[in-house]
Amino acid sequence: MTTVGTFRTLALSPPGRRVGSLLRHPRAARVLSWVGFVAAWQLVVPFLPTDLVPTPSEVAVFMWNELRMETVAPHTVYESFSLSFQRLGVGLFLAFAIGVPLGLLMGLRRWADWFLHDFVVVGLAMPSLVWALVAGMWFGFGDLAPVVTVTLAAVTFVVINVAEGVRNVPKELLDMSGAYGVSRYATIRHVIFPSLMPFFFAALRYGLANAWKGLVLAEVWASTEGAGWVIKFWYDAHRSQGIVGYALFFIIVAIFIERIVFGRLSRWVFRWRPSDDRRTPEPEATDRDEAVPAAVPAATPGRQ
Amino acid sequence: MATIKVTDLRKEFVTDTSTVVAIENVSFEVGGHEFVSVVGPSGCGKSTLLNILSGIESATRGTVDITEGDRQAKLGYVFQSARLLPWRSVIDNLLFVQSTRGPQVRARCERYLDMVQLAHTARQYPGQLSGGMQQRVGIARAFSIEPDLLLMDEPFSHLDAITARSLRRELHAMWQETRKTVLFVTHDVSEAVELSTRIIMLARGGRLVADLPVELPFPRDPASDAVALARADLLRRFESLDLLAT
Ligand SMILES: Nc1ncnc2c1ncn2[C@@H]1O[C@H](COP(=O)(O)OP(=O)(O)OP(=O)(O)O)[C@@H](O)[C@H]1O
Ligand SMILES: [Mg+2]
Repeated sequence: MTTVGTFRTLALSPPGRRVGSLLRHPRAARVLSWVGFVAAWQLVVPFLPTDLVPTPSEVAVFMWNELRMETVAPHTVYESFSLSFQRLGVGLFLAFAIGVPLGLLMGLRRWADWFLHDFVVVGLAMPSLVWALVAGMWFGFGDLAPVVTVTLAAVTFVVINVAEGVRNVPKELLDMSGAYGVSRYATIRHVIFPSLMPFFFAALRYGLANAWKGLVLAEVWASTEGAGWVIKFWYDAHRSQGIVGYALFFIIVAIFIERIVFGRLSRWVFRWRPSDDRRTPEPEATDRDEAVPAAVPAATPGRQ
Repeated sequence: MATIKVTDLRKEFVTDTSTVVAIENVSFEVGGHEFVSVVGPSGCGKSTLLNILSGIESATRGTVDITEGDRQAKLGYVFQSARLLPWRSVIDNLLFVQSTRGPQVRARCERYLDMVQLAHTARQYPGQLSGGMQQRVGIARAFSIEPDLLLMDEPFSHLDAITARSLRRELHAMWQETRKTVLFVTHDVSEAVELSTRIIMLARGGRLVADLPVELPFPRDPASDAVALARADLLRRFESLDLLAT
C-alpha cells in the first residue's frame, strides 16, 4: 500500500470512506444527490411558516391516488393527459401540414425565403405564452385555442428545419440518380426524403418542446379540461401537492417521449449510421486510410 | 454499341468572383465498342466532360450526341467518389439504379457484387465499409445495369495496387466480351495504355491537345516492353506539351 493510500485510510472512518468512493461514481452521485434533496425537502417543510408547500410524501401519496383514479378533480389523470395528447397531436399535425409546404418553398425558391424569413424569425422568438394568450382571446374556451396554440408554437420550427433540410439534400446523390435515369418518384422517396429525416426529427423535437409548454398555458387559460387545466384546478383548490404532482407527471411524460419514443424511433430511422463496432473488416488488403465518410450526407453541394 | 459525337464543346463555371473555363472548344467522336481514355492533369476538366456527357451538367456551348441505334443509350457512371446512398444497403444501392425489378435483376446485381469481391457485404450499409470497398460498390453498380456506355472517373485511383489490377482485368474482360463503349478518365498513363484503344489528352483550361490511337494487341501486359514504350512516348508528349506545368 502506498503512503497516499495509507493516509486516506487513516483520514476517513470506514463509512465515510464508502460514501467518498460512492461519490466518485457518476450514477451513484446522481442518485445520492436526489435522495439528499428529497430528504432535505421532507425535513424542512414542517418548519416552514406556511402549509402551501407540500412534503415529498404528500406529493407521492397524491400521485399514487391520481394513478389509482381516486381524485376530487372532475377528470382522472388519464383522461386529462389523453385529451391534452389529442390536442397536441392535432396541433402538431396541422403544424406539419402547414410547415412542410412552406419549408419546401423556402428551401427551393429564393424569393420565398426573402419573403418569409422575417416571419420565421419572429415565430422562433415568440414566447409560446403569447400564442396561448392570443389564441385564448380569439377562440375562447374549448379545444380550438389549445390546438391553435400548439400549431403556432410548432409551425416555425417545422418551416425552418424543412427549408434547411431541402438546401442540404446532397447534390452529388441527386446527380447520381439523375445520371442513372432514376424516376422522379424513386428519387424523392430514396434520396430526398431520407436526407430530410434528420431535419424532420429536429422539427418534431423542438416543435414538440415548444408546443407542449404552449399547450399547458393555453389549457390553463382557455380550456375547462386537459392536463394544463387540472393544474389550475389544484391551484384554485389550494392543493399545492396537486400542482407539484402534476408538474411531475408532465416531466415523466416528457422524459418518456424524449427517451423512449424519440430514442427508439431515431435509432430505427438512422440505423444505417455507422458505429465503429459495426464496420466490416476488409478481407483483403486495401487502403483503409482513404475511407470516405460517405454515410454522412455532405452538407455542401458536392463537386468532383 | 453507343457512339458519342461531341462538337465544339465549351463549359464555363461562373461564380460570384470569377469565371472558370473548364472545357474549351473540344470536339471528338467515339465509335461503338471503343475504349477511350481521357488523361490530363488535375483540374483540366475531365470530370466536367463526363458530367456533361451524363447530363449532370449542361454545356455552355456546343453539342453532345450519344446514340444507341434508335433508342436511348443506357449509361453507367462510376464517379470519382463512390456516391452511394448511405441509408440503403449495398445490394439496395445496386437495385436503386435498375430500370426493372425481379429475381433475375437481383441475381445480376449479386453477380456484379461478387465480381468486386463484395458479395458478403450485400446486406450492410455503405458506412460500414472502407473507402475502397465503397468505391468498388460504385463500380459494381455501374456494371450491374449492363450499360451501353460506361463512364468511369478515375475508378481505381483510390484502390490498392492489387485490387486495382484485378479490377482492371475484369473491366477489360467485360469490355471484350460485351463490346460496350467505355470512356475512362485517369491520370495514370500506364493504366490508359494498358486498357484503351484510344487516348484523348486534355490540357489545363480544358483544351483537347491530342487524340491518339493505341495500336497494341490485347492482352497487354503492363510489364511488357511494348506497353512501357508506349507509356514513355505518351509521357514525352505530356512534357513537350507542358501539360504538367501550371
Ligand atoms: N461546379 C463548379 N463550380 C465552379 N467551378 C468548377 C465546378 N466544377 C468544376 N469546376 C472547375 O472546373 C475545372 C475542371 O474541374 P474538373 O473537376 O472537371 O477537373 P478534373 O480534370 O476532373 O480534375 P481531377 O483530376 O483533380 O479530378 C476546375 O478548375 C474546377 O475548379
Ligand atoms: Mg475529376
